[in-house]
Amino acid sequence: MAFPAKYPQMNATELTDEARSVLIRVIRVAFPHPSFPDAPYERTADTILREAENSTWFRVALTQGLLTLGHLAGGDFRDLNDEDGTKVLRRIETTEFFGFIRRTTVLNLYDNEDVWEILGYEGPSFDKGGYINRGFNDLDWLPEARTETYDGPEQLIEIATNASVAKIRGGENTPAIERDTSNQPGKRDATMMEMTK
Amino acid sequence: MSNIEHDEAAIVIIGSGAGGGTLAYELTAKGLPVVVLEAGPYLRNEDYVNDEWEAFNQMAWLDPRTTSGSWRIARDFPNLPAWIVKAVGGTTTHWSGATPRFKAHEFAARSTYGRIDGANLLDWPITLVELAPYYDKAEVAMGSTHVHGRKPLPANNNYTVFANGAERLGYKFYSTGPYATNAEEYDGRPASIQDGFNFQGDKNKSKWSTLVREIPRAEATGLLDLRPESHAVQITHDASGRADAVLYLDKDGNLQRQAARLVAVAANSIETPRLLLQSASPMFPDGLANSSGQVGRNYMRHTTGSLYARFKDPVRMHRGETMAGVIADESRHDPDRGFAGGYFLETISLGPAFLASFSDPGAWGRGFTEILEAYANTAGLWIVGEDLPQESNRVTLNTTLSDKNGLPVPNVHFDDHTNDIAMREHGYAQAELLYEAVGSVGAQRTPPYPSTHNMGTSRMSARSEDGVVDKWGRAHDVPNLFISDGSVFTTSAAANPTLTIVALAIRQAEYIADQLKTGGI
Ligand SMILES: Cc1cc2nc3c(=O)[nH]c(=O)nc-3n(C[C@H](O)[C@H](O)[C@H](O)COP(=O)(O)OP(=O)(O)OC[C@H]3O[C@@H](n4cnc5c(N)ncnc54)[C@H](O)[C@@H]3O)c2cc1C
Repeated sequence: MAFPAKYPQMNATELTDEARSVLIRVIRVAFPHPSFPDAPYERTADTILREAENSTWFRVALTQGLLTLGHLAGGDFRDLNDEDGTKVLRRIETTEFFGFIRRTTVLNLYDNEDVWEILGYEGPSFDKGGYINRGFNDLDWLPEARTETYDGPEQLIEIATNASVAKIRGGENTPAIERDTSNQPGKRDATMMEMTK
Repeated sequence: MSNIEHDEAAIVIIGSGAGGGTLAYELTAKGLPVVVLEAGPYLRNEDYVNDEWEAFNQMAWLDPRTTSGSWRIARDFPNLPAWIVKAVGGTTTHWSGATPRFKAHEFAARSTYGRIDGANLLDWPITLVELAPYYDKAEVAMGSTHVHGRKPLPANNNYTVFANGAERLGYKFYSTGPYATNAEEYDGRPASIQDGFNFQGDKNKSKWSTLVREIPRAEATGLLDLRPESHAVQITHDASGRADAVLYLDKDGNLQRQAARLVAVAANSIETPRLLLQSASPMFPDGLANSSGQVGRNYMRHTTGSLYARFKDPVRMHRGETMAGVIADESRHDPDRGFAGGYFLETISLGPAFLASFSDPGAWGRGFTEILEAYANTAGLWIVGEDLPQESNRVTLNTTLSDKNGLPVPNVHFDDHTNDIAMREHGYAQAELLYEAVGSVGAQRTPPYPSTHNMGTSRMSARSEDGVVDKWGRAHDVPNLFISDGSVFTTSAAANPTLTIVALAIRQAEYIADQLKTGGI
């Protein structure tokens, strides 16, 4: 049973299948891996959609962003090639909309076996006995290196002889960069009570 | 395990990591019963998982914290200033294992480096000569390789690239350690199987931690009352200004009181000053043991940064011990390089999940995905060097925000000193040269991670106006209060901190036992 919505226009904040497919394209353009199949991108998009369900702020930002991306794209974002799509995303990279997608993608796209194998990472190893007999030292393009402490004629000089004449600058700090670089999951504001992935 | 009554005035240790776990073992081994309050759960090696985020969420201290200042962490990870464990064994369950010693002049930074603008430099009240016997004991306890007859670990792939680069660059002082993980069976624990998951707890128990050594041994004495999931919220004192109890929340959130004749705080350098500040009273209005005003100040995190270099051929840095590779050539003090103090270079490796989150926070697009595309052909190293204490780098209580227990959260304020920046730049440049010498085709300069080394917030000083504790870690203001973790570091030195924390704790245990016997406390 569905009652008519009190504010029918609010239905626009529901994320449609079309919005999902725009989102998948946004993630692929922003995080291009020619060797990745669609599945990891779809999985990541679904994670973003799930997280948006739990936060009104992200939900409205995401919905609005996906609906209006086409204005910047001069049509359907999905019709842009990689280069043009990247240009559009560069223009919005400081928005909450893009920041939310970027942070959640960084945290989730690479945290799954489906991409590890492609990248050459082998995942859990303890149950396989580690790498002690499975190539921890199989690098063959450089000579073997010494592992022991150096025992040649030289001594490590702990304090350089010129030390007393040195002039060391101090004081001023470097200015902060303004770009949103948060890689922390969840909200950036101080109300975040728990850090969960 | 022993059971100490709540109203029995006990020796109470807060925190079971490098400092607290060591102190608990050393005291119980001398026949002294102790209560250890540990905020985190009792995880065992079997509980650990070979998965970066899952392990992080299982082990890390995730209670909210806030940040301020110009450090990048305040933008990139605003609620995660530090990477610290909340579990029995503390951050020694997460650590990698590099155990270099401090150098003699690093205990005398003020005298050696002179006055540096903006830095609150001070000499330690102890010398290397005084600490050397305890370094020996700590290395034996931790099974550090390369010393006391412990075999070096074999070279893994990441090390082979690192060491060849070092050799071609003209560095001499490189090796696979000292590193507190067994190359062969030692102290009842097996040799490393090079599984590559020691940041995730090390299921194999080859890596030293207080979880695998000090805690079980303290339990075996029958004198340890270990209380996991017990979060200390205040140290109370009597009319004479002596600590008399610790209030803590048990696992059900109920406030408990443990009477105390001696309190040792080893909650790592953010929670230790937080607890002292939370213990303010009419007699100690600025926080317990804070007549100097130095509690929470001089917060240090080491000058760090990583370099991930790409090659034409496979490296597979994830196979094997994470940090079994150390170069000491740059650890000297040579102001001609443009900065005071020195740094080490150490191998490091992350999986794709962590590399994505930490290698270049905020980045996206092709430049970012190239880092991950090159994963299999990537080698990594970490810069770790001395950072300068500054009074304004500081842990305070953020009273506008409370945690789930209603306690004010700690805020960590940090600005890099120009000396730190100059050192980091030098480290990046040397690291690039090192990898170019063995054919790198590209490299990523990675900024500091949330701080893994946290120091200085209750520093040692000869005079009570300059710091919080004396040369034994005993509070200048409160005779039966001790600080037993990296908070006591007067300066950070270049070396990774844990060996020094353990050495100081062993030394402190002797002092406490002696003072209790002679009535000095
Ligand atoms: C990834 C990683 C790699 C590292 N690698 C190295 C390395 O190679 N070499 C090196 O020297 N160091 C390394 N370190 C640093 C090392 O782990 C720390 O220096 C060391 O563990 C600090 O010891 P501690 O006793 O000060 O604190 P911790 O070991 O952090 O222990 C503090 C304990 O106190 C508990 N606690 C906090 N507050 C309260 C409270 N209010 N009540 C009760 N309990 C409380 C915490 O839960 C924790 O268990 C590494 C750290 C990390 C994260």
